[in-house]
Amino acid sequence: MTSPLKTEGGGASVVVDGDKESAKESQTAQVEGRSPGRLMWIRFKRDRTGVISAYVVGFFFLIGLLAPLISKLYGKDPYTVYADERPELFDSAGVPVQPNGGISGDFWFGLEPGNGYDVFTKLIYGIRTSLMISLAVTVAVVLTGILLGVTAGYLGGKADFFIGRVIDFLLAIPAQLFFIASMPVVVSLFVSPRDETPTYVRVVALIAVQWALGWMSLGRILRGTTLSLREREFIEAAKVSGASSRRIIGKEILPNVVTPLLVQSTYLLPNFVTAEAGLSFLGVGIVEPTPDWGQMFSKASTELVLQNDLTYMFFPGVSMIIFVVAFNLLGDSVRDAFDPKSAR
Amino acid sequence: MLRFLIRRTLGAVVILFLLSIVTFLLFFGMPRDPALMMCGKACTPANIENIHHVLGLDKSIPEQYWTFLHNIVLGSDAFTQGPCPAPCFGYSYNTNEAVWPTLMDRLPTTVSLTLGAACVFLLVGLGTGLLAAWKRGTLIDKTFTAGSMVISSMQIYFLGPLVLAVFVYQSHLFDKPAYNPFTADPVNWFSGLIIPWVVLSTIFAAQYTRMARSSMVEQLQEEHVRTARAKGMSRRYVFFRYAWRGSLIPIVTIFGIDLGSLLGGAVITEYTFGLPGLGQLAVQSVAFSDLPLLLGVMLFAATMILLFNIIVDTCYAFIDPRVRLA
Repeated sequence: MTSPLKTEGGGASVVVDGDKESAKESQTAQVEGRSPGRLMWIRFKRDRTGVISAYVVGFFFLIGLLAPLISKLYGKDPYTVYADERPELFDSAGVPVQPNGGISGDFWFGLEPGNGYDVFTKLIYGIRTSLMISLAVTVAVVLTGILLGVTAGYLGGKADFFIGRVIDFLLAIPAQLFFIASMPVVVSLFVSPRDETPTYVRVVALIAVQWALGWMSLGRILRGTTLSLREREFIEAAKVSGASSRRIIGKEILPNVVTPLLVQSTYLLPNFVTAEAGLSFLGVGIVEPTPDWGQMFSKASTELVLQNDLTYMFFPGVSMIIFVVAFNLLGDSVRDAFDPKSAR
Repeated sequence: MLRFLIRRTLGAVVILFLLSIVTFLLFFGMPRDPALMMCGKACTPANIENIHHVLGLDKSIPEQYWTFLHNIVLGSDAFTQGPCPAPCFGYSYNTNEAVWPTLMDRLPTTVSLTLGAACVFLLVGLGTGLLAAWKRGTLIDKTFTAGSMVISSMQIYFLGPLVLAVFVYQSHLFDKPAYNPFTADPVNWFSGLIIPWVVLSTIFAAQYTRMARSSMVEQLQEEHVRTARAKGMSRRYVFFRYAWRGSLIPIVTIFGIDLGSLLGGAVITEYTFGLPGLGQLAVQSVAFSDLPLLLGVMLFAATMILLFNIIVDTCYAFIDPRVRLA
């Protein structure tokens, strides 16, 4: 959730024509030019919470990236149905015989009740799928936000009005209902309903629907920032000296919207992760056998698991909490590093 | 004030109109033909054509859309299932029941769930948030801040099944969540909804704690608050009279958005606990390519969002004397 509290303070520090100035701020004895980016980095490194959460977040991305390697070293994959391979590990209902969901030296996180997938590989591959989708959505949203937000703010007038109304309209759409309703439609654009839907089509569809309703908040913020930048002297100066609109946007405005952009995208990404997981939970996202974070929750809410195997739901649940908490803390730290005035 | 309301209402109507078009087009992009599901096993092309004709699907899309708009405003007697008075969304393809009464039938579930949870999370969230801001920097503040951070990062699809597993399936302390109408049986109404309320309000309360705290802390740094303190007013008075009022604005905004979107169907909550509300209806309508039902739910949910947007904006004028509605 993006609260209006967080959206303030966009464009507090101004970068003029690239990253050259602001040497005044350096307090060391020897005068040394420090770019705002460098200052931000120094402030960020001092923030212990921020650094730790950055490591945690990095750890999750690393797991996602290295999932195939990890599972190779670990010697299992998320697709093997151990209920068929090693039936002695399961009782007649398909619940692991050993306590705690079948956790053992062989199966670190236990086995999934029912099909008996290996939970550890399923989780790391699930994280991989979810993060990949959410990252793609974030990139798409950031690009759209820049394009439409900066355009609306810079051009003003009719373009601003039109984009503003589009944003109003999209904000009024009930997001979850729209996702559920449009997923089958987007999928059917790629494959005929009689064929088996390949996983990549579902992934593309998930990215598309989340992107369609995900860019508005960022677009609005960038519009606001651009709007206030447009009236500043250095833009005026650039205009007077005959710079083209393209140059002004590229060289003067874009470097100055980097701050709100970075802060907002660190808040957006975990939201996309949980939203994507929610869709898979409802059964309209990624479906078995492709591993997915959210789909593990839908497995965890079946009666078989609820009745017999409490352990199973903790792995996706706790890992997601850690991920979201770390990402939100990181977002706060990034914001504070960029804008030291906004004390919490 | 009146001009503001009229302008916003007109804007909302335009948005609903556009949304109905989008939903209409979305339906015609859906891969499943509703006629195929309705005619069952012994299905001939002639049967399908017949069903298409009965549903009006053989007409052109603009023509169908026009009929749809006409029926909403004026009602219709053309349905084989029976007459359909003014807000007529037609009859569900799947259940053959009129859509508007179905929506009204499901609404109490969603309203009970939402309002019950909203009361709890607003009270608990604001209470703990204000307490944390009042005791800023102390152990209480740190505990609440850390706790709310973790809890607000939980998802309903994790906490819901967890609570179900612990309290219902394994210890049998509570019955499975279910909806019983309040008018028929208030006790069962309460006991059936207690788990969904607790789960929904836990997560939301944690978000409101964070919001109330940060909004309050921000307000306490405002100039007018400092002036009031400098004048010698008591901390308590300044806290509850000066800062509190200003900190309400972002909270009211988010509360309006949350309430609006929950009242349009708390999809994941209803799905998790198997409650027959609007959200569940929406999931069904998509599963059966049920255009009248889908349009009904979609427009209803959007109306709720827009309605609460307008209410929130009107509230600003009462909270903040600087805001003038125009």
